Amino acid sequence: MAAEGKVPTLAEEYSLPPKEVPVEKPAEEKSATITEASPADEPAADVEQKSETPEVKEPEAEETVPAAEESDAAPEETEEKPEIVIETAPADFRFPTTNQTRHCFTRYVEYHRCVAAKGDDAPECEKFAKYYRSLCPSEWVCTLFHALLSFHCCSTVFPEMMRLVFSIAYGDLVVSLCFPAYLELG
Amino acid sequence: MILRSLSCRFLTIALCDAAEPWQLGSQDAATPMMQGIIDLHHDIFFFLILILVFVSRMLVRALWHFNEQTNPIPQRIVHGTTIEIIRTIFPSVILLFIAIPSFALLYSMDGVLVDPAITIKAIGHQWYRTYEYSDYNSSDEQSLTFDSYTIPEDDPELGQSRLLEVDNRVVVPAKTHLRMIVTPADVPHSWAVPSSGVKCDAVPGRSNLTSISVQREGVYYGQCSEIRGTNHAFTPIVVEAVTLKDYADWVSNQLILQTN
Repeated sequence: MAAEGKVPTLAEEYSLPPKEVPVEKPAEEKSATITEASPADEPAADVEQKSETPEVKEPEAEETVPAAEESDAAPEETEEKPEIVIETAPADFRFPTTNQTRHCFTRYVEYHRCVAAKGDDAPECEKFAKYYRSLCPSEWVCTLFHALLSFHCCSTVFPEMMRLVFSIAYGDLVVSLCFPAYLELG
Repeated sequence: MILRSLSCRFLTIALCDAAEPWQLGSQDAATPMMQGIIDLHHDIFFFLILILVFVSRMLVRALWHFNEQTNPIPQRIVHGTTIEIIRTIFPSVILLFIAIPSFALLYSMDGVLVDPAITIKAIGHQWYRTYEYSDYNSSDEQSLTFDSYTIPEDDPELGQSRLLEVDNRVVVPAKTHLRMIVTPADVPHSWAVPSSGVKCDAVPGRSNLTSISVQREGVYYGQCSEIRGTNHAFTPIVVEAVTLKDYADWVSNQLILQTN
């Protein structure tokens, strides 16, 4: 509970609407609003964690150098260490329940919407990739990927049939999340 | 055996983080949640003993006084407004006193209150668990993932508990908010650690969330709580809480191991 001081106030935490409302809107609008909204809720969580991690990293790298027996293991570690930033997908008030299945799906679709709108290398999409990787079991990522790929290929040609086939194969949930996104993207 | 469990209860030399033979109480709390559960148990026990004493007194008194020798003609009271009001209101008040802390605890347990710092996915398999630490991934393929098998019955080293120790423990940082995502890959499983006050069912096709914040470093043991086939008893859970620094160390070492 020590972290509570730095966490945004309840009012701030609940002020998600700018991020939440555009879910139903076209892809470009959506991802634009997301990137605006994100800095607001990110830093609070980041700053607190990052302030801890640098202390964790630097002294350690020096300690391990004399300890390491092989000379080539040490430089690898020093390279590797700064990557460990203790952060994860933030608590999302769209998904306050125990069931987080939809949280995973949504983050996955958000990432692909973002990529579709901003291009493959857009740095702002990387955040969503991290979120869905944190939230989705790796087996699901594969399934979701295939589902979305098939949507992308077929939904423009046989929209209604694809909707039916996929609601049978993956359930209405995936369809309702993925289908509108991929129809819009064409 | 009993002595050991008693010493565990009363002479707190080391805290109880694993099941003891003949254990009666709960294991020692490692999270505020478990502390809350233990406190609630004690609160309710107060009322329980009060009711027990009151009811036994009435029962014994009735048996003592109203028998053929002392009271050959039984009284025939069938209605009494005052007593009926009292015996309706009073239990309701007791229930209210139990319900208030109970609901407070319940809602504080499942509330998403703060941003977690780490997400750990516990994926149940027949008959082992896979743990994924995916916060440090940079692609879908690469992931810090390992399987956690129980140490077979004939294999434990001195000091290890039989069927309670695993080969790869879940390493978590202490005093950090953790998000556990629990899901199975085949049949329903459950992820339960009594010291943390966590018992989360894993349902196929669904991912369940449970938040914990372990308050002290230590090794916590749990067992699967969902009957699910022949080797149900052989999938223990071992959580090793370490300092944040050690955790970062561990993660970087694991990442190096997995990339090589």
